[in-house]
Amino acid sequence: MPQARLGEITRLFFRVGTTVFGGGNPGIAVLQREFDRREWLSQERFALSFGLARLTPGTNFLAFCAATGWYLRGIGGALIAVLGTTIPASVLVVWLTLAGEQGNRYPLTRSIIGALLAAGVGTMLGAAVLLVRSQCSRSKWVRPLIIAVGAFVLARAAGLSPLSVIGIAAAAGFFWTES
Amino acid sequence: MNVVIVYLLLLKATLTSFSGLASLPMVRNDFVLRYHALTDRQLNTAVAAGRVGPGPLGIYVVSVGYLVDGIPGAIAGWLAMITPAFLIIPMIRFLGSRAEHPRAKAVTRAVLLAGAGLLASASAPLARDAITGPLSFTVVVASLIFISLTRIDSLWIMLGAALAGLIAFQL
Repeated sequence: MPQARLGEITRLFFRVGTTVFGGGNPGIAVLQREFDRREWLSQERFALSFGLARLTPGTNFLAFCAATGWYLRGIGGALIAVLGTTIPASVLVVWLTLAGEQGNRYPLTRSIIGALLAAGVGTMLGAAVLLVRSQCSRSKWVRPLIIAVGAFVLARAAGLSPLSVIGIAAAAGFFWTES
Repeated sequence: MNVVIVYLLLLKATLTSFSGLASLPMVRNDFVLRYHALTDRQLNTAVAAGRVGPGPLGIYVVSVGYLVDGIPGAIAGWLAMITPAFLIIPMIRFLGSRAEHPRAKAVTRAVLLAGAGLLASASAPLARDAITGPLSFTVVVASLIFISLTRIDSLWIMLGAALAGLIAFQL
């Protein structure tokens, strides 16, 4: 496999960080296509990066970038992959936040921002639905549904902190494995 | 609020979640309910800003940091977002095939599902703030349907919502 140069890795991850919208999954899809096209990463390494990223706390996509960057050029590659993906997007998100805050002073922008906030709530609920659906199949849906609804009830009705709910879910996952 | 505290609180949230927006309940718990450093509306603005721009969904923590403590807070948020990502390197080196163990997978799945329940729980108070009339209610329902049932890029959903807000203002 040809070894990727740091400059090439920087350009690729910078491009993904500035042009790919819609969260981590589209970003992973773009990277997979590029790794395949450039023959930078074997399928086995890609699969291991993808699988372990799901087990890593935080944003899965960034863990995936760190893993693939590490495979490409060691710790330097991992750093460049994560920085290249996040720095331009972070600058943009700060600017968008500023625009959102200042926009509240004007009726037109207030109307637009109000609609954007509503869309934000809808997308959060949609993301919750997608997370549950990703863990369900035709024959195995009871356990995922019970855990998700249980977490909702523990947080909403019982008032448990998110950390406690996650701890309980982890224990449930450990002791209640699917047959 | 001290920038180190901002970093540590956001790091706690990112370290205990397993997907982009799953850290939101803990962020709300600390910054809105416990320290009153943010309002629900500001948190909602942060989530919306994170959804409109490129990059991962977890990028909203940069916006949260910025709203709490300006540019230093944004940098703290950015560091809290990227720090857990590097945990994967020792995991690749030392865990490797053990990650495929059924029990490890079952625990991860359960935490992911709890994240979904917590996300739905955290969206309830945000919805109270965001739903101010029929238009915002329609936008919530429409975006929920588009996100969960279609493969449309969320950028288009945000742009559609912005357009709905613009049309509502003109009417």
